[in-house]
Amino acid sequence: MFERRLYYHIDWALLFAILALCAMGVLMIFSATAATPATSRMYVTQSYAIVLGLVAMVVTLSVDYRAFTDKSHLLYIWLLGALLYVVFFGDVQMGARRWIPIGSLNLQPSEFAKVGVALVLAKYFGENRGIPSWPDLAVAGVLTAIPLGLIAKEPDLGTAVTLVPVFMAVAYLAGIQTRILGFLVAALLVAAPVAWQFALKDYQKTRISTFLDPSQDAKGAGYQQIQARITVGSGGLQGKGFRQGTQGQLRFLPVAHNDFIFSVLAEERGFVGVVVALALYLFVIVRTLEAARLAKDRLGSYLVIGVLASFTFQVIYNITMSAGLAPVKGLTLPLMSYGGSSMIATLAAFGLVLNVRMRRFTN
Amino acid sequence: MAHNADTEDLRRIGTRLAMLQYMAFAVFGALAASFCVLQVFQHAKYEEMAENNHQRTLPLRAPRGVVFDRDGKVLVENRHSFGISIVREHTRDLNRTIHLLSDVLGIDEASIRETVDRHRREPSYRPIPIVQDATLAQVAAVTARRLDFELPDVVVEPMPTRQYPEKMAAHLFGYVGEVSDAQLTDGEGLKSGDVVGQAGIEKIYNMALMGRDGARRVVVNSVGREIRTLEREEPVEGQRIQLTIDADVQKSVEDAFKATPFNGAAVILDPRDGGVLAFASLPAYDPNAFAAGIDRGTWAKLNSDSLRPLNDRAIQGTYSPGSTFKMAVGLAGLEEGVITPETTVHCGGGANFYGRYFKCWKRSGHGSVDLARAIEQSCDVYFYTVGNQLGVDKIHKWSTALGLGVKSGIDLPNEQQGLIPSTEWKRRRLNEKWYAGETISVAIGQGQVSVTPISLAVYAATLANGRSRVTPHLLKAIDEGRGWTPVTPPAPQPVVDISPEKMQAIRDGMWRVVNAAGTGGRARIEGKDVAGKTGTAQVISNAGRLAARTSRNLRDHGWFVFFAPRDNPTIAGVVFAEHGLHGGNAVRIARHVLDTYFAKQGGRPLPPPPTDLKLDMSDSLARSQPADE
Repeated sequence: MFERRLYYHIDWALLFAILALCAMGVLMIFSATAATPATSRMYVTQSYAIVLGLVAMVVTLSVDYRAFTDKSHLLYIWLLGALLYVVFFGDVQMGARRWIPIGSLNLQPSEFAKVGVALVLAKYFGENRGIPSWPDLAVAGVLTAIPLGLIAKEPDLGTAVTLVPVFMAVAYLAGIQTRILGFLVAALLVAAPVAWQFALKDYQKTRISTFLDPSQDAKGAGYQQIQARITVGSGGLQGKGFRQGTQGQLRFLPVAHNDFIFSVLAEERGFVGVVVALALYLFVIVRTLEAARLAKDRLGSYLVIGVLASFTFQVIYNITMSAGLAPVKGLTLPLMSYGGSSMIATLAAFGLVLNVRMRRFTN
Repeated sequence: MAHNADTEDLRRIGTRLAMLQYMAFAVFGALAASFCVLQVFQHAKYEEMAENNHQRTLPLRAPRGVVFDRDGKVLVENRHSFGISIVREHTRDLNRTIHLLSDVLGIDEASIRETVDRHRREPSYRPIPIVQDATLAQVAAVTARRLDFELPDVVVEPMPTRQYPEKMAAHLFGYVGEVSDAQLTDGEGLKSGDVVGQAGIEKIYNMALMGRDGARRVVVNSVGREIRTLEREEPVEGQRIQLTIDADVQKSVEDAFKATPFNGAAVILDPRDGGVLAFASLPAYDPNAFAAGIDRGTWAKLNSDSLRPLNDRAIQGTYSPGSTFKMAVGLAGLEEGVITPETTVHCGGGANFYGRYFKCWKRSGHGSVDLARAIEQSCDVYFYTVGNQLGVDKIHKWSTALGLGVKSGIDLPNEQQGLIPSTEWKRRRLNEKWYAGETISVAIGQGQVSVTPISLAVYAATLANGRSRVTPHLLKAIDEGRGWTPVTPPAPQPVVDISPEKMQAIRDGMWRVVNAAGTGGRARIEGKDVAGKTGTAQVISNAGRLAARTSRNLRDHGWFVFFAPRDNPTIAGVVFAEHGLHGGNAVRIARHVLDTYFAKQGGRPLPPPPTDLKLDMSDSLARSQPADE
């Protein structure tokens, strides 16, 4: 199954960049959490998650990606089942039903939904040649909307929204006309106020309205945003030094190890650290785009771009948010934020990217 | 065809991927630029905000200087206590904080709110003191809430609180309190929330006693818990001061008053330099009640009390001196050549002046009296006669020289001034001519004459040393950090140029008051040659007295001015028994003071506090005549 020569075609540079980001994440998690006894072992948990993620990656790159896409409809159905299970029987934490407890682990199916949707959309668009028709788009849209709706129901709006870029990116690459794409974007913009009215919970509304004017509620929802900006700004060029940050260390910044891990990096490592991290992320993205370009078939390109879309969207949104420049949403920073499911799902997804690239010469 | 479509697809994919790549570069470029703006260009601003977030400056209160008596006994010190304050800078919901704090401390919510309102305009980082001397229960309750992160904006700080271990000399020590707005604008480097002296030596020597607060810069986390101390500037304790007060003499004064039903005042001086040995005004208050911020109820009660306990009778009360004034008139007569010590006047129980008959207190008359005997017997007719010959202005001149009707200059705030009338005074004040007949009452210390107890003490000291009008003072030495430095006593007022022989006649008279047949016999101490003079001052006119004789607060005041020993005196002073009926009752108080003083001088055990002073509580009206010894 795994041909020996494929080993030489693995994109080691991409893998190295990914692991470098994971290592930075572990360091920052250690910095943010080690001082508090209750959380002091989070960096160990994260390291285990990375190891598990690498195992998952080996699995996803060993099997030809076409085998995955062939079975994508089955994967998709399992995924919907898991999401349905979560909606009704999932573990409730912090007001949301997002987890399936498996032994001591908490599995978060929504993290795997991104890969699942990427696979199913790649297969769907990959089977059709030429520019996708309206019915094609409609079917693809429904395939995306079902898991999106289920995740939004948990509620986990942040993760749900990351499925939209997956659909858009695959459709874009599949050749959707630019004006149709423009129309879709416009439709989403129109839908936003409607969603505001009916779909958003109060706390979500507050987050967005305080983003527009953080000072109106400096101690409440706007607090996090102001604190994020202070955290980043006070880091300066060089940073305050490892574990020397005040904003993260003294808990002025909430969930520093998770949503705001990049703020901690900015505080302790300064603009220099930020540039290094941004460069690594950009490298990962560009390298993945190259994998999409080099892919042997459209299917491979679509799969890579689907995987990359949710990753890129999340990276950009989280980094913008961690500088206090976007409303606070529960969106983690892939590869760096604390979180096992996210780590495993992300590494598995990059396994598919490596898979596509290294099989570009096979038949 | 299929092949063409595939090629077409791949070419499109290539272009669109390139497009996405440009977008990725653009977005990451924008992100890097944003971080550059925040972290490099706006760094200073955010760094300051981060610092404000996690650093707090907490004051370390400097203890006020300890006050000692002349023998080194501690009179005023400090004890450790805790203050509880709100720092609004860290408040998320002030109403909630106030509500919770009121619950936790058991204090009325409205009064906390009022305190906060009073400080509303101050910078929000400055702590607003809510409780200044918290009980252990209050400290524990607040600390527990802080650990639960419920009151991140409430601080508990150790705070030295002033303590007056001996319950005495309240008006002398004064009291401390939070600095007032008026005091803040006066400058002197005071800042809001400072505790400053508001009366007595606490006020006069505030700058020396206050010390300099230190500060502690600490790192706190988002819920206000202290993580570590960054720097610490130790507070500098206020300077220690030593008073001229003798705690034993002071205690004897207060003990003696306690054995009477009277209020009043007493000032005991060292006649050689004006050092104050004892200083009392009664009724008093408890300075300890002010030390930790007086509560409104107590304050209102002190202010509305008809006995006016906040009033310092010794330096602020002005009273008619009665017969204690007679030495001034006698001395004026001698100095102005109107009389000699040998001049005699016949007293037949009264005399006519300007068509009006002035009675002597002794109906049967004193017969022929010279100056010393006139003082001994307090013969009114003698002094009517001398006063009449002197005229009011000469009485004014010499009584002023002896310290009456002017401020003594003691180092205490808000001293008042008595009054010795003169023709000029009457013209200026009432725009009226002085009538010679008015001088007759003045000559026996009645009429418009009024004095403060302290001025009578200076008067006694001047008569005692026979030379100079000393300035009473309280400060003996000060420790500015390099050990005790004696304080030079303030210079005496211009030397009173009185010939010793003339003075001797006065002093002989005063000696006889105590040691012969006078009214001060109860102050006689074998071998100590106490000299003195009693006085009884009418509070209202004789006619009014009959109408209102039952009223306690219309009773006569009793005075006793004294010094001892007659030759080379070392103690002089005055006892004022408010509504004390007779000068003799003041003598009884002074007796205990003198006993204590001489026992201490002689190294003998001090006499125990008196229990029965055998006061004369007979109202002079019982004799149906105005009594004046």
